[in-house]
Amino acid sequence: MSSQYAVEMINIHKTFPGGVYANQGVTLKVKRGEVHGLLGENGAGKTTLMNILYGLLNRDKGEIIINGEHVEFESPTDAISKGIGMVHQHFKLIPPLTVVENVVLGSEPIFGRTFGRGIIGKIMRALMPIDIKMAVEKIIQIAEENGLHIDPYAKVQDLSVGLQQRIEIIKTLYRKADILILDEPTSVLTPQEVDELFETLKEFRKAGKTIILITHKLRETMALCDRITVLRDGKLIGTVERDNTSPEDLAQMMVGRPVVFMVDKGISSPGDVVLKVQDLHVKDYRGLESVKGISFEVKAGEIFGVAGVEGNGQTELVEAITGLRKPTDGVIIIDEVDVTSKSPRFVREVGMSHIPEDRQKMGLILAFTIKENLILGRHYRPPFANGPKNMLLNLDRINEISDDLVSKFSIKTSSSDAFAETLSGGNQQKVVVARELAVAPKLIVAAQPTRGLDVGATEFIRNTLIKMRNAGSAILLVSAELDEVRNLSDRIGVIYDGKIVAIRGPDATPEELGLLMAGHVQGVD
Amino acid sequence: MNASELSDAQKSGIGQRIENWILGLAKKVTDPSYRKQFIWSFASIVLALLVSSLIMLIAGYDPGLAYVYLAIGAFSRMDLVLYYATPLILTGLSVALAFKCGLFNIGAEGQLYIGSMAAALMGYLIALPIVIHPLACLAIGAIAGGLWGFVPGLLKAYRGAHEVVTTMMLSYTAILLTGWLVSSNGPFWDGSMVPRTPPLLDTALLPPLWGYSLHTGLILSIIAVFAVDFLINRTVLGYEMRAVGLNPDAAEYGGINSKRNIAIAMGLSGGLSGLAGSEEIMGTYGKFVANWSPGLGWDGITVAVLGNNSPWGVLAAAIFFGGLRAGGNTMHQVVGVPIEMVSVIQGLVVLFVAAPRIINWLVDNGNTIFKSMKEDPFEPSINLVSSILGLAILMLGLGMITSLYSLPSFTWINAATALVYVLVAILGVMIFIVYWSKRPDAGWFMLLAAVLWTIAGVLEIIGAGMSALTSFILAIFTFVLWLADRLIGRLLVTKKEDDIE
Ligand SMILES: Nc1ncnc2c1ncn2[C@@H]1O[C@H](COP(=O)(O)OP(=O)(O)OP(=O)(O)O)[C@@H](O)[C@H]1O
Ligand SMILES: [Mg+2]
Repeated sequence: MSSQYAVEMINIHKTFPGGVYANQGVTLKVKRGEVHGLLGENGAGKTTLMNILYGLLNRDKGEIIINGEHVEFESPTDAISKGIGMVHQHFKLIPPLTVVENVVLGSEPIFGRTFGRGIIGKIMRALMPIDIKMAVEKIIQIAEENGLHIDPYAKVQDLSVGLQQRIEIIKTLYRKADILILDEPTSVLTPQEVDELFETLKEFRKAGKTIILITHKLRETMALCDRITVLRDGKLIGTVERDNTSPEDLAQMMVGRPVVFMVDKGISSPGDVVLKVQDLHVKDYRGLESVKGISFEVKAGEIFGVAGVEGNGQTELVEAITGLRKPTDGVIIIDEVDVTSKSPRFVREVGMSHIPEDRQKMGLILAFTIKENLILGRHYRPPFANGPKNMLLNLDRINEISDDLVSKFSIKTSSSDAFAETLSGGNQQKVVVARELAVAPKLIVAAQPTRGLDVGATEFIRNTLIKMRNAGSAILLVSAELDEVRNLSDRIGVIYDGKIVAIRGPDATPEELGLLMAGHVQGVD
Repeated sequence: MNASELSDAQKSGIGQRIENWILGLAKKVTDPSYRKQFIWSFASIVLALLVSSLIMLIAGYDPGLAYVYLAIGAFSRMDLVLYYATPLILTGLSVALAFKCGLFNIGAEGQLYIGSMAAALMGYLIALPIVIHPLACLAIGAIAGGLWGFVPGLLKAYRGAHEVVTTMMLSYTAILLTGWLVSSNGPFWDGSMVPRTPPLLDTALLPPLWGYSLHTGLILSIIAVFAVDFLINRTVLGYEMRAVGLNPDAAEYGGINSKRNIAIAMGLSGGLSGLAGSEEIMGTYGKFVANWSPGLGWDGITVAVLGNNSPWGVLAAAIFFGGLRAGGNTMHQVVGVPIEMVSVIQGLVVLFVAAPRIINWLVDNGNTIFKSMKEDPFEPSINLVSSILGLAILMLGLGMITSLYSLPSFTWINAATALVYVLVAILGVMIFIVYWSKRPDAGWFMLLAAVLWTIAGVLEIIGAGMSALTSFILAIFTFVLWLADRLIGRLLVTKKEDDIE
């Protein structure tokens, strides 16, 4: 325990089958008791590096030293035994079980301390069933010490994404992790949840834990991290102290060029009404009404932002407009065509593009190649289809257009024939966005369009959206990120409990919007 | 190869196109995922042969000799190999095509029967000129088989009836229906001792190709491979079917009508099986005979599995199985190994090929046990074994009860034993649920099961039951599992704690 470093990964190399050289001699040194940021563009190799540290992937070359001791991890079990915990972007909880049950899987038994720490104690503890009561006490203790309040008897399936993430963190603490890896923890959280998470992480640092944080949001990095390591194209660019750097510098390190943070969108010149929603009622999958009479209009050349805490009816609203869910009542008109309860293909034919909020569930077919994904939704008509009755795929044109999109949206891949599942999270998102923005649609429904994208790609997508607005598209933007909504929108509708409770201009303050989103309508008016 | 080279090559000419196609194929073959698939298929075959040789050894045959004659038989009679492969190619394609759309067409056998029946009727009832006659027979056979597949497709798409159930049921319906049609009560009986139709007109027969039995159906089967490959990879319909099969949500989002695609895929799949049946009737049998198929439709499933549901894979797999059949004859005649050994080898190959794929499928679609198994195999394996054991205990418990009833004298001690078995059976269900959902307090149930089995064993000895030994073995087995779960799992945890403190 002589070293000042909790984690030292030295000269790590990793090549994936297919030839992607994801880590090229990366060295990462994390001091004990610091919050260490890991930054890099989409596909820079961050997730790969962390999966190697957590024992999920094998490295080709390189050394890993934990607290001064050389280690070889065969599996995450080994990593856990060295005090490493990881919160993946997609959680690994069992929904029908309670919080305690999820946390304790394979832990403390009844009479845990009665028999001492000798061999007899070990065997006795091994033979006893798990002491749920003691586990609950321990969870409550962990929760209190770290400000992670949670009901130990709640079922996971009833909890919000933010609370589920909290369970994952508690789980690592329960297993006595003192090195915590968090892979893009904030991209699924609402702004309040992000603030809470950061408070927690600060507590952890005070308690001497070491934290590695992956994020694309430079503001978060600057607020929390002590030191920051930047990767680009699988190579180490450098490690800097927070106090000696700025968001601009970091962006420059990541991208290799300066990045503009505020998009300059100019004033809009709205034209005719493109999307008209009237008194819309929609039920969710459980049959509960979740859109309760929404009406609004979006004009050509205008971005209409919908701000709201997740779960207030945004998902169902978007699904109804795009033809994926039949509304129970109300009318939806796109470009003077009634599309209420029509099929997704019909709505697309009218001129709608849709960036869905969940890229893996809906936006992509992971086992399709990038090419095949880039034509989804327009695959059945020219230029992608030809021959009699457009029955054949026009492979030449598909190749041409998809290679074009891959380079235009800088999708990082060895070839457009690679499967979508081999792309990094952000590059998967780029495929969806590229496909949906490739044509000039009349209406763009964009749900969380920049989720998981790096600063450069975010800037690019936002600029593209504005260009399309200026070219006359109507854009409905749904985003959990208040900054994004405020930056891009010409008008902002606040959704709360299935209703649009207020419509504001882009100059509305975050505080005002925050109050509205929390349902305090009277307080503001 | 990089993108710019390719796009240059795309510019012009048929020569270039062919070159592109070859380049594409070369790329596919050298692609690591294909290579892995290929290596695994090959390894499965080797494994299957090894296990089979063990079985042969136990049964008293010389596996080395058997395999030598298997190979000699296959290579000396290539015509026979291809003859056996001919229908398997089509039924394999049938199953594979449905699978591309995410459907399990278990009913290829029935579609094959209906198709062959239709072709036979067309072949002997209606007189047509040569060339036209066989084509008409094939067409009508494909259509009939297609309808037999289309109906479950419709039911699946619009009524949600699971295709495994409906195709399976329709399969038996088809076999029985065609059997009745040619029986002595049926309308198409030829009046002989055998339930069959009169022979097809000569104009309707498929001409022989080479050797004794190989007929022109082979050419048709190979054309079908090209056609299905083209359909899947080059047409809009194939694209949509694959999309529906891989991610129905994304397909719907992309404006694809999955119901329509499901119905069409099942129809086409049935058509291929119908074609297989027609070919056999017109090329080999010359008439429809009740129960003529040696399970060609069922074998289609195994062919598709070994061929990894790709048309060219199906072709290779069908030829391999054809080789096993052809060589199996020689092996049987010379070494005396029963011909069923071929089916054993075939089954083992498929088992080994499918095992990792089933696990992968479960990982993607199923229980968290398999998910965590990938990450950390120890704990989940115990959970998995334990939950399976739970089911086994349930079955055994119920079985034991019935065996007790069949004892000559039913004493009070037997009644007590039966009671214990009832408890054991209930416990089996509990164990399954508890372990399957990974509840942390699962261990106690296992221990209780061990105790109950022991009690049952003792009672069996006292009451002169027959299954004392089984009970004791199970008692030991459950106890070991309990120990493994508790002791080893817990020691690991305490070791972790010690390391940290
Ligand atoms: N299973 C795989 N097979 C082939 N290539 C892969 C695989 N997983 C990742 N890659 C490639 O490795 C590179 C690094 O991926 P990684 O997921 O580490 O990126 P990342 O830095 O986490 O990016 P993001 O911010 O977009 O999540 C990418 O180019 C990706 O395409
Ligand atoms: Mg990542």
